Amino acid sequence: MSWKQSVLSPFREMKLPFNHFSRKIQAFVCLMATSTTVAWLAFAAPVKIELPRETETFKPGNGFEIANAHCLICHSADYVAIQPPLARAFWKNSVQKMQQKYGATIPEEQVEPLVGYLVKTYGTEKSEREKLTAGLTPRADIAAPSSTDPTDPAATAEGGKLAAKFGCAGCHSVDRKIVGPAFKDIAAKYRGHVDALEKVSHQIIQGGGGQWGTIPMPPFPRLSAAEVKALSDWVLGQK
Amino acid sequence: MPNSRTLNQSLTNRRQFIWTAGFASLAGWAGGHALRVLAEPTVTLPFENGERPLVKYPQKRQLIRITTRPPQLETPFEVFNESLITPSDAFFVRYHLSESPPLEVDADTFRLEVKGKVNSRLVLSIADLKSKFEPVEVVAVNQCSGNSRGFFQPRVAGGQMGNGAMGNARWKGVRLKEILERASVATSARQVTFNGLDRPLVEKTPDYVKALEIDHALDGEVMLAYSMNGEDLPVLNGYPLRLVVPGYYGTYWVKHVNEISVIDEAFNGYWTNPAYRIPDNPCACVEPGLTPKKTVPINRLNVRSFITSLKDGDRVHSGQTTLVRGIAFDGGYGIREVLFTDDGGRFWREAELGEDLGKYSFRPWRVAFSPTQSGSFELKAKAMNRVGQSQPLEPLWNPAGYMRNVVETVRVVAV
Repeated sequence: MSWKQSVLSPFREMKLPFNHFSRKIQAFVCLMATSTTVAWLAFAAPVKIELPRETETFKPGNGFEIANAHCLICHSADYVAIQPPLARAFWKNSVQKMQQKYGATIPEEQVEPLVGYLVKTYGTEKSEREKLTAGLTPRADIAAPSSTDPTDPAATAEGGKLAAKFGCAGCHSVDRKIVGPAFKDIAAKYRGHVDALEKVSHQIIQGGGGQWGTIPMPPFPRLSAAEVKALSDWVLGQK
Repeated sequence: MPNSRTLNQSLTNRRQFIWTAGFASLAGWAGGHALRVLAEPTVTLPFENGERPLVKYPQKRQLIRITTRPPQLETPFEVFNESLITPSDAFFVRYHLSESPPLEVDADTFRLEVKGKVNSRLVLSIADLKSKFEPVEVVAVNQCSGNSRGFFQPRVAGGQMGNGAMGNARWKGVRLKEILERASVATSARQVTFNGLDRPLVEKTPDYVKALEIDHALDGEVMLAYSMNGEDLPVLNGYPLRLVVPGYYGTYWVKHVNEISVIDEAFNGYWTNPAYRIPDNPCACVEPGLTPKKTVPINRLNVRSFITSLKDGDRVHSGQTTLVRGIAFDGGYGIREVLFTDDGGRFWREAELGEDLGKYSFRPWRVAFSPTQSGSFELKAKAMNRVGQSQPLEPLWNPAGYMRNVVETVRVVAV
């Protein structure tokens, strides 16, 4: 086995740290053996962690409101964005799996538009994407609804229906935090502010910056001005 | 298929990181008043759509973020060349449910419940576990079932990871066997299920529960660990208590485990069926693109080896000796030998195995590489375990992207 000798001989001369970690581990084991009793009796304070802010967002495109409203309840957009280019059949299957196995409440009529959005934005039909995003810039024509009356029952009913329609309830409830803040907490935060309606409208259209936690509110830029106003009024009327 | 082979080889390039030192410009919505631009360092894993941010998490150094919520973080591969034990702050992270990790854990009020088909139900605190049971230690590899999934060809869906969803740690805790014996398992017992603090947001989402056969649970090796590398577990790795199933894929290593149930039937929850299943054949593989006819739950790790001291594109000096170092591991039989080639596989020679930290640990190896002339060299390592299992020269495929263990290649240039 002369090759072995010639192969191995350089190690000694080179003094490479091959065994360094083994010594460390031995020392560490001895140390641990003496300190374990102490460690056992140590008092443990509650451990709190804060996760980094969520930064990945769905790319704009036809149907991305559906992804924003339903997918982001349970997982961040990077679960979709990191995938290799996958075909329509995969995305269809994936959306159905989310419905059937994970309990995602995606309305049936939104399944095909969502699959279309996913495959054209992240899948094998990406070439279709340019057509899809044409004219899709956030709307600027609804920046400042002028007045609001949160007690208007008609507006309230309309807003509640819209909240259901757009899937707001996946992340928000009236009185407790789910993924996003409770509607009544949003209302309380803005109560008495002259620009309350503007701010909440803005938040719905443009999305939020994660000011209520580490998970940002996704944008819903394609709602009409009337829909945004009705929703904002409804949210601000929650107590 | 010369083209696909070439592609495949280039994709199997190890030490995957092309450090872009670039910055991802992320336009935040920031209330719409202005675009918030975040500077975030990124790495690019060597497959399509492989750019990932490097992000610092609590109790962790900067790791490769695969997904944000629930979090999946990958260990940068160079860590495996730094020490045989993977530091806890570099250890990979994988969660399944949206309400995870738990953001606050009080180890004083935390309780482990042992119930089901037992004669005496137990409720144990961490202090109970540390004081009333014999402490045991094991050095064991925890590897994600889908480690290296990004290298699959054709590509498959799932967490798109390079080779860093694995780690080797010193786990300390108590034998599950001892706990189950204290609870006195009923004779009807067939399996044991494990549930942790992490939970789904939507009620209909299946909670993350895994099961082991009763004989496996009682083998004296499966452990409930409260310590990792001499310290409390990081929250993201299961603080204050996690299951350690030596030799088995990470899917069984339930984190924050607070509920153990002995059952008298075969558990059939979502995370065992249809999730985490492999083709029911010796290679756990099918022809690319096909669906396996029959599947079984994923189980033991297969044999893997990596060169850790050199990465693709590195330069070495001709006429000089370069020490090539690496690691090898398997599902618990132990590594018998590692073969090395510097000519793409025509001639293989034996590498020298290093320190043995036990049959479940990474085993270090090293070999001298002395190129006598300049040019390109294709380096490969191939491990064999003590029952003769080894690694395939061509990658195997299954639809979930599990258990990759092809002989990996590192291309270097001697100058």
